[in-house]
Amino acid sequence: MRADGHAPGRSTPEGRDAGQDVRGLLRRCARDVVDVAEGIRAVSARTSTVLFAPHLFAGARRSPRTGLAAQWALLRALTDRQGLVGAVLGRESLAALVAVTSLRLRIAAVLVDHPEFARDPGMRRLAEAVAGHGLGAVRALRTLLRDQGAQRALSGLTPLMAELPSVRALLDARPPDGGPGDGAAEAVELADQEKQFIATEGSFLGFLRTIEVLSAGGRILVQNVRGPDGVVRYVVQTPGIAPGRPRDDAPHDLAAGAGRGLSEAHPPYLRSVLLALTKHGIPRGADLALIGHGEGGLAMLHLAEDEEFCRTYRVTHVVAVGSRAHDVQPADPHTWIATIANQHDIMPGRDGQDLRDGRAAGSAGDPRPNRYEVDYAGPTREFPLCHLLREYIEHLRTVVPGARADVDEALTPYRGPIVRTQAYRLRDRGRPPEGYPFLTLPTRSVPTTVGPVDVPVRYADSAAAHLCFPVCADTARRLLPDVGWLTPSLLGRRALAVLSLHEHRSTTIGPYTEIALSVLVDDLWRPRRYDIAADLLRRPDLRRTGRYVLSLAVTSEEARVVAREIWGQSAMRTTAEADLTGREIEVRSRDLGLTVAGRLGPGIRCPEADWVLYGRRGGSTVRTLVRAHGRPRLHPGTGVRLRLDTAAAEPLAGQLRRLGMNTARPLFVLACPQFMAHRSAGAVLPR
Amino acid sequence: MVTESPRASTAPAGELLAHVNTLRADAGLMDGYARRLLATAAALSGCPAAPGWSRAVLERQAAACFTAARRLRTAAEALDTHTRAGSRPLTPAGLSAPVPPPPG
Repeated sequence: MRADGHAPGRSTPEGRDAGQDVRGLLRRCARDVVDVAEGIRAVSARTSTVLFAPHLFAGARRSPRTGLAAQWALLRALTDRQGLVGAVLGRESLAALVAVTSLRLRIAAVLVDHPEFARDPGMRRLAEAVAGHGLGAVRALRTLLRDQGAQRALSGLTPLMAELPSVRALLDARPPDGGPGDGAAEAVELADQEKQFIATEGSFLGFLRTIEVLSAGGRILVQNVRGPDGVVRYVVQTPGIAPGRPRDDAPHDLAAGAGRGLSEAHPPYLRSVLLALTKHGIPRGADLALIGHGEGGLAMLHLAEDEEFCRTYRVTHVVAVGSRAHDVQPADPHTWIATIANQHDIMPGRDGQDLRDGRAAGSAGDPRPNRYEVDYAGPTREFPLCHLLREYIEHLRTVVPGARADVDEALTPYRGPIVRTQAYRLRDRGRPPEGYPFLTLPTRSVPTTVGPVDVPVRYADSAAAHLCFPVCADTARRLLPDVGWLTPSLLGRRALAVLSLHEHRSTTIGPYTEIALSVLVDDLWRPRRYDIAADLLRRPDLRRTGRYVLSLAVTSEEARVVAREIWGQSAMRTTAEADLTGREIEVRSRDLGLTVAGRLGPGIRCPEADWVLYGRRGGSTVRTLVRAHGRPRLHPGTGVRLRLDTAAAEPLAGQLRRLGMNTARPLFVLACPQFMAHRSAGAVLPR
Repeated sequence: MVTESPRASTAPAGELLAHVNTLRADAGLMDGYARRLLATAAALSGCPAAPGWSRAVLERQAAACFTAARRLRTAAEALDTHTRAGSRPLTPAGLSAPVPPPPG
């Protein structure tokens, strides 16, 4: 593998690798097929109109022989086997069948270069739905697109974002919450820790770093910059959608196009941006630079195309990073437009084309005036890593420093001291916040070494399987911290150890997979023999028993830091792949040498699996309350097996071995393929 | 009893003839869609990463498009016949006189 991430020998003379060409072909075919599907749907609609034309009905009464023959011929064209509108007779329309074919081709195109997307929960559900042929696939896909619970996973399918709406329309599968939105904006303070990252001088990378700070929480930032000529200008900075993080009550439609004028129906996101600019008090005719990442960049390009907006303000520059819009037509021909994209980034552009449809690699500059496009082959290929702003900032420093210098030069009027910085939280009053009402909680910001973290940490879309093993009480006691008041709860003469596997697809600290080993422990002060049974009837916040987390392995640095610094759990970073959404569950971690796989047997519904988790920080115990909302089921553990393929003793494998969990089958498995949860800030107990 | 004047019946006939033209044009479109699907299937047949099912599925859907085009043409002819029949005086049996085939 070369430094630029390309495997040698795969490149064509034009510099495009073979995979890219294949993917381009699949994508073009998919687009052509969906065009055909839309054409067929239009033909169906026109033929239906003819069939039900009042004059044909009236004529058929006057001339029944020819009239009925014509009606019968039309009916056959529409409802024949695989007819145009087969749904009339319980079949599926030809347009829907062709649309599914298009989507399947598109999925194949994404997976050619980004096989890692096959693990994405939304992609998995989508691929499962369209795995069959014909009618079954159409119906499964329609059911999925209408399923309220699936919307979260589907909204993370960035590479298919452009296709899904047209397929939805062809299948007549409107999203369940497709009501009109209502944008709003309110000025908010940045956290102290965030303020440290805000540059005091205007520069391209400084603006991008600010956008990275803003990526959580649906905020944009407006800065007043005093240029070298002493004129105050304004820079609007907009992040994109952070994959795997809940959108709360922020507008969801960043990439949606603007209306034909501000008076027309703008998507809620753009309306919110306009409200923020109005609140900021930007005078009419002031100079504006619009800088955005991903969907935020697309939204800024939409704004630059809006004639009324450009009459109100003078949009001098638009810089979109990680977004592609070759066809942008700014309302003001003098607006300087720059787009910078890693070729491997599969963030779709405005016309449904990927970034990779863009110009040839390294083609900075453009024959069109005021246009600057950079489409480079970055070293990061894996999505969503290749789409992260952090990666782009690094590439602008090391891979394409020329692009950084060019944009900085273009932004010269904005390169001066920043005299005012104000963040605005954008809201969509037309929709409830994500996870409402369960996840709608008061939060506070806690500083950590990876930046401020809002607690409670909220999990909008997770799956879990808890494997419960009866283990030797003495061994469990020896694994607990050497303090007298942490004792295992006993079931008869055995303690209960739990191997918890989590697939967190969308959380306020980003998506991650979690593998945790814990032991059920008694109350720290007043242990009672039957608490373990009585707690099943108690409110979670009143429970006396809890689970002491012996080891925790997570797949993201942010999750590791939060677990360690907020919850006092000894967390380590690992790699893991989890699929906990079906009856067949599998979690595999090559780093840990651990595999859990098997089939869940018949299960029964059981109450919510709320837990109290214990950790240790310094000389104190940290108590974390976990509240969950899902539909957990209790399964016998016979079909599920834990396997250790490592001789390592520490940390997790050794504990599993000492507890005998690698050779035993779990007593039962508590599984939940989809649930929401929130974990409180850890309360430090004086023991 | 309601009687229709000859003037009143020309408007529906014109509308039905417009429908006939639409159906014929749509039949042509469906033929075109079928050919596009076949072209896509052919393009994918040389692509190593194309899914194995793609060719068969696209050819099947192209065949359905050809069938739909044929049915639309049949419907257009039937509607044309009916339109011309409606514009002729009724026979005593209440049936329209034979209609010559449409030009072309």
